[in-house]
Amino acid sequence: MKTRKPTDAPESIAPARGPKRMAIVATVWKYLSHAQHMGDRFLVGYPIDGAWRTPNVEVVSLYVDQKPDDDQSAERARSFGFSVHPTIAEALRCGGDKLAVDSVLVIGEHGEYPRNEKGQILYPRYEFFKQIVAVFEADGRAVPVYNDKHLSYSFAKAREMVADSRRLKFPMLAGSSLPVTWRLPAVDLPYGAVVEDALMVGVGGSDPMDFHALEAMQCVLERRRGGETGVRRVRMVTGDAVWRAGAEGRWSRALLGAALSRSDSLQGLSVKDGRTQALAEGDELARIVPDPAAYMIEYNDGTRATLLMLNGALADYDLAVKVKGRPDPLSMQFLLPPTPNVAYSAPLMDYVARMIETGRAAYPVERTLLVSGVLESCLDSRTNGEKPLDTPHLDVRYESPRESLFART
Amino acid sequence: MDPTDAPPLEFTRRAALGALAAGAVAATSRGAEEPAAATKGRPRIAAVVNCYWKTSHGQGIVDRLMDGYGWRGEHHRPALDVVSLHVDQRPKGDLTDERLARHPGLKLYPTIAEALTRGTGGLDVDGVVVIGEHGDYLVDDRGRTHYPRYEFFKQIVDVFRKTGKVVPVFNDKHLSWNWDWCREMVATAREMNFPFLAGSSLPVTWRIPEFETPADAEIEEAVCVGYGGVDSYDFHGVESLQCFVERRRGGETGVRAVEAVRGDDVWRTLDPAAGGSPRTKALFDACLCRSFRLTSPREGYGNVFPTLADAAKLVADPYLYRIHYNDGLVGSVYMLNGLVVDFTVALKLKDDPKVRSTQLYLCGISPNQTLPNFFSPLARHIETMMTTGAAPYPVERTLLTSGVVCKAVDLMAEKKRIVETPDMATIAYKVAGESQYMRS
Repeated sequence: MKTRKPTDAPESIAPARGPKRMAIVATVWKYLSHAQHMGDRFLVGYPIDGAWRTPNVEVVSLYVDQKPDDDQSAERARSFGFSVHPTIAEALRCGGDKLAVDSVLVIGEHGEYPRNEKGQILYPRYEFFKQIVAVFEADGRAVPVYNDKHLSYSFAKAREMVADSRRLKFPMLAGSSLPVTWRLPAVDLPYGAVVEDALMVGVGGSDPMDFHALEAMQCVLERRRGGETGVRRVRMVTGDAVWRAGAEGRWSRALLGAALSRSDSLQGLSVKDGRTQALAEGDELARIVPDPAAYMIEYNDGTRATLLMLNGALADYDLAVKVKGRPDPLSMQFLLPPTPNVAYSAPLMDYVARMIETGRAAYPVERTLLVSGVLESCLDSRTNGEKPLDTPHLDVRYESPRESLFART
Repeated sequence: MDPTDAPPLEFTRRAALGALAAGAVAATSRGAEEPAAATKGRPRIAAVVNCYWKTSHGQGIVDRLMDGYGWRGEHHRPALDVVSLHVDQRPKGDLTDERLARHPGLKLYPTIAEALTRGTGGLDVDGVVVIGEHGDYLVDDRGRTHYPRYEFFKQIVDVFRKTGKVVPVFNDKHLSWNWDWCREMVATAREMNFPFLAGSSLPVTWRIPEFETPADAEIEEAVCVGYGGVDSYDFHGVESLQCFVERRRGGETGVRAVEAVRGDDVWRTLDPAAGGSPRTKALFDACLCRSFRLTSPREGYGNVFPTLADAAKLVADPYLYRIHYNDGLVGSVYMLNGLVVDFTVALKLKDDPKVRSTQLYLCGISPNQTLPNFFSPLARHIETMMTTGAAPYPVERTLLTSGVVCKAVDLMAEKKRIVETPDMATIAYKVAGESQYMRS
């Protein structure tokens, strides 16, 4: 797969006067859904850099795939003077016969969708995207697209989506809010540093939450010397095999200690009586995490990284990285402030707003492509007896932005 | 006991160092991080707490000193030993027995004097940590909770006087609910020459984003927006503001007057149409934009910026403390229960067109979190004082902020707006050098 720099500025997008028009395509719009907290940013603004920003973007149309009892799409349309359309094509054309928006926000998260045998929720992001691309092709114009979270549960579909964006030359942003949210402390991997090992801890179900954790780790590791080279092998193990892998040195207890030292949400005895804990030491972790999972990743350049999903141990997302030449691991928490403000979606939507305003994506969609594929392959490894899986298809190379783009001002 | 009757005090190097940093007015604080070479062994600490139940300050701070805590990417185990404990109240949920069982080196004593002397005739600890927060104590008609911090302190210095030795003392939160007692506590520490550290965790916790008052900056105005009750979280709000303004050009100059505003008048200070200041409103708005827990005025929406009319509907009992400093600076602490659930600060610096703002982040108390790790930097600063004999920041900050709260509570009880504070106008001090908040 070809390398692409993150800042493609397609010539097809001419600067327009007045607000940029946005269509939102969502699975469902209800209180606390991703569509609500991300879509609302373009309706009522958001806090960024210590001020309330109202981006120069006007939501002009909406498509929602499902309307549950607590659907908010009709209320939002009424309150903000736009229409909810019965199809994606009509939303993009605002009921007319030509593409009538300057950007599309795709939020394919939440709603009732089936799961496949790997446990993945079959959110129709690819299907939404193909309908959007069909309009772009039919009408001879393409506009910036943001796709929330992973591109698709299927790497083949995700790769096709990225190829479409490249072919039609429209800027595309995707992924989780974790790469751009606040960090405690506000640190990043020094650009070009050599990474010896990395370990991320997270919680939640698959495949909603493991994706967030993997992408958070990726946005740090992609800054390593030589840039992103792709992934050659993955393996996922669960249960006692996770602890055995640790004992065999296939992931690092020292990095686990560093990652857990950043947590503000340890469970077990901390819940019982408030005490602090050094959970990386001793057997307590195994006692309170009956069903751990390890996602073990081997990059093409030999770098090793592991995600431990430790339900029962904590409730936040923390990373530790062993950097060559640095005695102590680099470690941080990816901060997810609480509902309903969900402050983490403000910096993410600000990057979307800036892509729409400038025609440039601030960071490469290949990050999300690679992570989408890593996640799918890890789940394949799990369903295939937890054996290592070679991943020649994950030969996704890209260059990370030099400047750190997480929230810190 | 009359202090003049006391036996000559043993002036340890530790105490002398501490006096340099914490005692003298206009002293400069030292960011002492490395243990003094002269300190022999691990300091033995007595902990004196109101109570020791889950989420109490006593549990949060003393547990960290004993069990360690996540710090700079590792589980840090403090280089000190908590050897004695006095617990004033032990209601249902008390954890004292569990902690004693798990920490064989820890002993419980029925009195403060015994916790400090440990069955010997003399002072037998190297430091005292006083956590006089939470518990069932008298609440008076002004809304003040009579936490016995002063009484604890008196018993501690009584042992110091009788034994002729002093050691460093930490006092959690404000010094006392009684202003005269606050002054007496600081005067006693100065006179007896022991390091004295006090205050809230807000000045030392994470800031999101990282921000410190630039060295020697001239501050035109400062605003804090916080939440919580009178004679309680208002102290955290005042300390949040003070830790930024004390770094202004010329250092802290003291407070000449304290103003308290309650009810609808609070909103008028923010409304230019009602005579309020546009600059204050700009700083207030910046604070709200730093909040992670801003109540949405619009049902079904998660994060909407409130108008003043919205805010007035959300906040049943708004109150505001305005602090009039000697050098002309005015700082405002807006306490707005119902609007926010965090503490934010905004500053307008001279020759800087941008408003500077940050949140003093109380990690660990949001839903789904379990560990109030804002106690961790406080525990780290306590350890620093105990191992080096120097208080990392001046107790005059907490004397001044305790005074502001005492005066403001009186004003609201007496339904008065402003009071001159000549006894706070002499509290001048300087902090210099490295910031003391957690950022690595």
